[in-house]
Amino acid sequence: MKDTLAILHRLSAHPESRCWYVAWHPLGALLASCGGDRAVRIWGKEGDDWVCKCALSDGHQRTVRKVAWSPCGHYLASASFDATTCIWKMTNDDFECLTVLEGHENEVKCVAWASSGHLLATCSRDKSVWIWEVDEEDEYECVSVVNSHTQDVKHVVWHPTQELLASASYDNKVCIYKEEDDDWECRATLEGHTSTVWSLSFDPEGQRLASCSDDRTVKIWKECTSGEDEDSTDGAWKCVCTLSGFHGRTVYDVSWCHLTGALATACGDDGVRVFKEDAAADPRHPAFYLSAHVPKAHNQDVNCVAWHPKEAGLLATCSDNGEIAIWNYQSDA
Amino acid sequence: MAFLSHTDDLFDSILMADDRFHTQGYRDGFEEGSREGTMEGRHHGALHGARLSAEVSFYHGFALAWKFLIQNHEEVKARKQLKAVESLVGLIQRFPHEDPQYENLQEDTAKIRAKFRQVCSLLNVVADFREYVGGSSQMSF
Repeated sequence: MKDTLAILHRLSAHPESRCWYVAWHPLGALLASCGGDRAVRIWGKEGDDWVCKCALSDGHQRTVRKVAWSPCGHYLASASFDATTCIWKMTNDDFECLTVLEGHENEVKCVAWASSGHLLATCSRDKSVWIWEVDEEDEYECVSVVNSHTQDVKHVVWHPTQELLASASYDNKVCIYKEEDDDWECRATLEGHTSTVWSLSFDPEGQRLASCSDDRTVKIWKECTSGEDEDSTDGAWKCVCTLSGFHGRTVYDVSWCHLTGALATACGDDGVRVFKEDAAADPRHPAFYLSAHVPKAHNQDVNCVAWHPKEAGLLATCSDNGEIAIWNYQSDA
Repeated sequence: MAFLSHTDDLFDSILMADDRFHTQGYRDGFEEGSREGTMEGRHHGALHGARLSAEVSFYHGFALAWKFLIQNHEEVKARKQLKAVESLVGLIQRFPHEDPQYENLQEDTAKIRAKFRQVCSLLNVVADFREYVGGSSQMSF
């Protein structure tokens, strides 16, 4: 492997707790993290160092599992095990809790904004996915509750350009939702993983979806378009590639870089891996190779990987030991 | 020949008694078991049917009461609420509660529950009606 993944910074972000998730601000200057200490922290670069600019510790009563920036960058959403989702408004590096979204019966596992910024999705251990609409007055209204999974829903992610939502669950499945007559409906169910699906990531164009699982594999799914395949229907998704044999434990997160197309994974064996697509492969049967691997990236489970939105190769990861690490990935290919 | 066959029957009735009573016993037991099973099944079905009907009827009453309360409000917010409430009423009215063998029973029940929770969220009503509402814990059959 000529490609390298080099450590740039290591921060103790949520000391004596777990760091569950990190999210880059859309402009890339800030990084939000959340953890088992019930806090959300906002990190920014000062000189050569990353420092904590702000700590939001009064929003949640329990673990904060995920954070997400709105596409405009003015809002931050945090999903917590206390069954609520907080929406924070950022004004001059200061955050104010704008509203608290209630309704889930128990732990909220994930929150995600649609590319338009007008829709928000949340999912929970109560097996449901909620879709919220945001109006001009910052009012949030639930437009749909969907019960398509039979177990805990772990992750939700929106298509990069369309109003298409994907969710991953403990029931080993991935569901794809679309709006249908004012209600959101599950349009496709992606079956193939043999254990919990932990996370999802769309490719830069939104044509393919990567899913990672407790079954130690990453699968790449592609939407079938009519005419391409005689036995496919529009809106169905097909697994076109399975990355197996690379991960020793559960794959907790996957992130598809929208600048370089590289695919990063966070694994329960404490490693961080970056995969690249084989350019020579048939597009109907894509192939990926392991481009870089840091076996002990953290000294405990790696929970999240996030590519920087503006600077190609910059990768943030976080771990059960409460740390955040920032890496530089370089590829010759 | 007749004599021979008579002795055959005589010995048969003794030798085959075990088998005969076994068959008879099986038949009697089967009948009694069927009767008891039917009763038990009927009871189980009645219980779950009553529980499901109580839940769906609760949603129906809830939806109709709210529909009545907000139907004359003109604000955009109330319009949206009314639309969701009417959609819940529609789901309940289409629910084939008189057909226990309806194949999408579980699926449609889940849809009604989801719609009810959306309506509660829109109306700002805390959905804490544990007595009536089936939660994420599935009904056990």
